[in-house]
Amino acid sequence: MQSIVVLFIMSLVVFTMINLVGDPVDMLVNPESLPDEIERVRSDFGLDQPAHIQYIKFLQGALSGDLGNSFIFGRPALALIAERFPATLELATCALIIAIVFGLPLGIYAGLNPKSLGTRIIMGGSVLGISIPTFWLGLMMIIIFSVVLGWLPVSGRGDIGSFLGWQSSAFTLDGLSHLIMPAINLALFKIAMVIRLARAGTVEVMSLDFIKFARARGLPPENLVRFHLLPNILIPIITVLAIEFGTLIAFATVTETIFAWPGLGKLVIDAIVNLDRPIVVAYLMFVVTLFLLLNLIVDIIYAALDPRVRLNGDQQ
Amino acid sequence: MKDGQSLIEDKLNSAKYKKVLKANFLKPATLIPILLLAFIAGCAIFAPILAPTNPYDLAIVSIMDSRLAPGEVMFNGTVAWLGTDGAGRDVLSAIIYGLRTSLIVALTSAAIALTVGIVVGLIAAFYGGKIDAFLMRIVDIQLSFPAILIALVLLALLGKGIDKVIIALAIVQWALYARTVRATAIVERRKEYIEAASTLGLNNFRIIVKHLLPNSISPLIVLATLQTAHSISIEATLSFLGVGVPITEPSLGSLISNGFDFILSGAYWITFFPGIMLLATVAAINVFGDQLRTILNPRLSK
Repeated sequence: MQSIVVLFIMSLVVFTMINLVGDPVDMLVNPESLPDEIERVRSDFGLDQPAHIQYIKFLQGALSGDLGNSFIFGRPALALIAERFPATLELATCALIIAIVFGLPLGIYAGLNPKSLGTRIIMGGSVLGISIPTFWLGLMMIIIFSVVLGWLPVSGRGDIGSFLGWQSSAFTLDGLSHLIMPAINLALFKIAMVIRLARAGTVEVMSLDFIKFARARGLPPENLVRFHLLPNILIPIITVLAIEFGTLIAFATVTETIFAWPGLGKLVIDAIVNLDRPIVVAYLMFVVTLFLLLNLIVDIIYAALDPRVRLNGDQQ
Repeated sequence: MKDGQSLIEDKLNSAKYKKVLKANFLKPATLIPILLLAFIAGCAIFAPILAPTNPYDLAIVSIMDSRLAPGEVMFNGTVAWLGTDGAGRDVLSAIIYGLRTSLIVALTSAAIALTVGIVVGLIAAFYGGKIDAFLMRIVDIQLSFPAILIALVLLALLGKGIDKVIIALAIVQWALYARTVRATAIVERRKEYIEAASTLGLNNFRIIVKHLLPNSISPLIVLATLQTAHSISIEATLSFLGVGVPITEPSLGSLISNGFDFILSGAYWITFFPGIMLLATVAAINVFGDQLRTILNPRLSK
């Protein structure tokens, strides 16, 4: 219920404010057009009407799943978003997988061997990973791997393969070569985050009594990590990552701009620059919905993994 | 104003604490970032004196100097140590001026966000009840969205310009400060000295400003340091995307963005050097913040 209120307020605020900036008609017509032509364009898009009537029209459309047509493309904004979303989803998912595959083992290693040289290197690297500007790193990757070494393509999505009805660049070699740089670029910040979380969790859990007991029982270290440590540190990491998945989609905007990846982010940046209002509004509604859903999923996962949360809920 | 017990504790700890403080500040992990930050701040403050040329003086900038490699000599005889960009501006000078813009944006927005955050946090903690619930609900909703997204949307709505970037960054950051202040203040609120103050008949404003405020802001020190690094990054990212500060007064982000068009032709220096400066600044602040956390909370360092 609260989510719907948030969505509604969001739409109102965005719609009001977006009407205050710039005149999209200026961006659409040829500067040499005659005044009556300009007026015709204006009335075609319904921009000659007062803002509150535009908003009511928008709401009526929104309730029936129509968020308006893009000024530039002349097609439904929601359809454009749906078209671009798989590319962004693919990028974000790959980045998330990379972050977990690299971050978790490194973080656990750092937590288990707090004094070793490896840990110092890992932790130093994670500070660097958090500090390094994503977009600049992307540019440097292009310079190194595409311009100097010539190993990887600079931009685009490459060939798209299909597997079990799911279309993705990850299923062809060419697609994969396009995917790898943007995915690593997007993942880097998250790798550093997973390392920190995993390390903090490991240090905390390893000092608990049940670990000491398991050790006293003579459990080999690899079993200790797999059966006692991992399940306990995974709960907070999964929760944070589920929320961070939304951040990945937001941050994909930057990566997509650098690597010309045809996803949502590129669509919205172009729309912002071109004052393509319906796309901007539709994107926001889409992202807000996505976030509310993610938060709901996180709450459910949390309750499923941690019995204490469930108990608290019952008492209320 | 401190309550009696903490005064006694202070006395007992002060000698030992000073020693710890000294030992901590003199180790390289703290000293290096401090020196680096001092150097960076110096560059930013004395930009007009330090920079070899003024990159925004159109009378000096010549298109003949466009895309010189690092170390080549410019038309007017100055050596472009870090090369020149597409318009013939000296990259080194542009970085020094860009640093200035980046820091001004980050620090001003931090100051505004801190002020708003502290006021909201203290009000929520002091009055509690519905006011608290309402304010914290706003904070919760805002914090559930990533900062970059909120900033992007705000700038899409507000338009370009340094002032607008500052506003957007302030709006992005205040919620975190508000939540942190409230968390501390709500504990302080229940202590005896606040009760004593209100028994003495002091008005609410005075209690909040003179008693609650000084005892509630210490957790903000580390947070504000790390947030400043974060907001420098966000500003650079926004400028890179073309919605941040305008190209007429570039920050480090817009300089990097400016070089984006030239990387495929091999003119790496236009993006590389501003990026290194950005990385050094953000990393120095982050390391310093981490050290500050350890120093202020000795329990963390085993």
